[in-house]
Amino acid sequence: MDLQEVSVKDLWQDVYSAGNLHYCFNCSTCISGCPASHGDPPLLVRNLARKLILGLEEELLDDDTPWACVSCSRCEEMCPMNVMPFEMILFIRQWQCRNDETRVPTAIVEIYKRGYTQAVGVNTELRESLGLPRLNTITNNPEQLELFRAMLMKTRIVSENDYMFGG
Amino acid sequence: MQLCFFPGCNTPAIRPDVERAIRASMPVLGIELVDADNYVCCPAFGSFPSADEEAWMATSGWNLSIAEEKGCDFVVQCGSCYSSLCMGREHLLHDAEKLTRVNELLEPAGRQVTGKSRVRHVSEVLFKEIGPEKIAAHRKKSLKGLHGVVQYPCHTLFPSEVVGFEESPRAPQGLRRLVEALGAAVDGYSRELQCCGGAGGFMKSTPEQAVAFAKAKFDAILAETKADFIAVSCITCLMHMERVQNTLNEQIGEERYRIPVFDYNQLLALCLGFDPKQVSAICSVPRDSVISRMTDVNPNT
Repeated sequence: MDLQEVSVKDLWQDVYSAGNLHYCFNCSTCISGCPASHGDPPLLVRNLARKLILGLEEELLDDDTPWACVSCSRCEEMCPMNVMPFEMILFIRQWQCRNDETRVPTAIVEIYKRGYTQAVGVNTELRESLGLPRLNTITNNPEQLELFRAMLMKTRIVSENDYMFGG
Repeated sequence: MQLCFFPGCNTPAIRPDVERAIRASMPVLGIELVDADNYVCCPAFGSFPSADEEAWMATSGWNLSIAEEKGCDFVVQCGSCYSSLCMGREHLLHDAEKLTRVNELLEPAGRQVTGKSRVRHVSEVLFKEIGPEKIAAHRKKSLKGLHGVVQYPCHTLFPSEVVGFEESPRAPQGLRRLVEALGAAVDGYSRELQCCGGAGGFMKSTPEQAVAFAKAKFDAILAETKADFIAVSCITCLMHMERVQNTLNEQIGEERYRIPVFDYNQLLALCLGFDPKQVSAICSVPRDSVISRMTDVNPNT
């Protein structure tokens, strides 16, 4: 692999413009304390930053480890160079979704359909037994749900993958 | 004081007794909760924030517009909801272009977002707004004689600039002080600040490693503390720290890991005298060992 050739593409700026990845000096603070660094394969945040800086597009597209992140944001707090690694992980996931529709999380379809990833507000008997009121969910408010869906349909991820949201 | 209650999804759907505990305790302590009608997913980090920034911001904006319309701040229990709403607001407040675009998207629904409503975690409201002294003064029951450990939700600590309310995110005090206010002794231990590991894809993609990661934490609790219970302040921590103990017991074929896990709001509601059958009804690690040892607080002492 010719690193000079791939690095001129400045992939990192396409993917992630919020922080400056060139400040990263591979110190690995982002890995120590990261729960998912105990995974198999491990999430090695520093390595993701390297792949981005070096422009290793194919390796990064195939990398599943950004999805193991637990979102605890320790790396975001501890990074001494303010690279904002947690935001970087989210932007890598977004970039993977833009380039590979099979990456698009099905959770967004649930949210489009009923407002939530869980079936909220349908456990009425249990809620009543606990003395809880009926929840005014958007699932039970067709007019608001329609407005919410119409809003999402104007965003790129939903309009470009509209086949996922039918029915 | 009035706050708009953002229930999230796991709490009302799977652990509504935690919701009941919050709705019971808050008015006793002077907080009036108003409902977030037609709220939607926070959005969860694994959903729109992982797929598309514009849809992420629009969904955040939809939720924030509800609190703004009510003219108050949000109060949130779930760590992920809290962090996602804080991050969404932070992006919108610091990027005029994003804010303009989100308001274009919200406009047909008659909604608007400015960022004027803040997002507050329930433990921050309890610790800073109400305070341990006032909580202690309202107790009808006490946890005196019991030992607990605390599990700080990562999402209320990091990144401290966006979500934090502790003086030091590396030495947080809030949850410890709140549990002490109920009469219990809080034992420190070496892995107190280790994440539970329950959120995101870690547990889904490599459950074996995620359970082993949590085991180190439970082994430290057993070896270093006299914990009768674990107090958490996030719905994911609550569900995960129960589930992992049951998984570990299945693996070793004995009941070694059986420390009851409570959301703090449940301990609080129990100490305020509310019915365990309503505010502490659902668990997979039995809690009787704690509830049966609670004592009455004598108002004359």
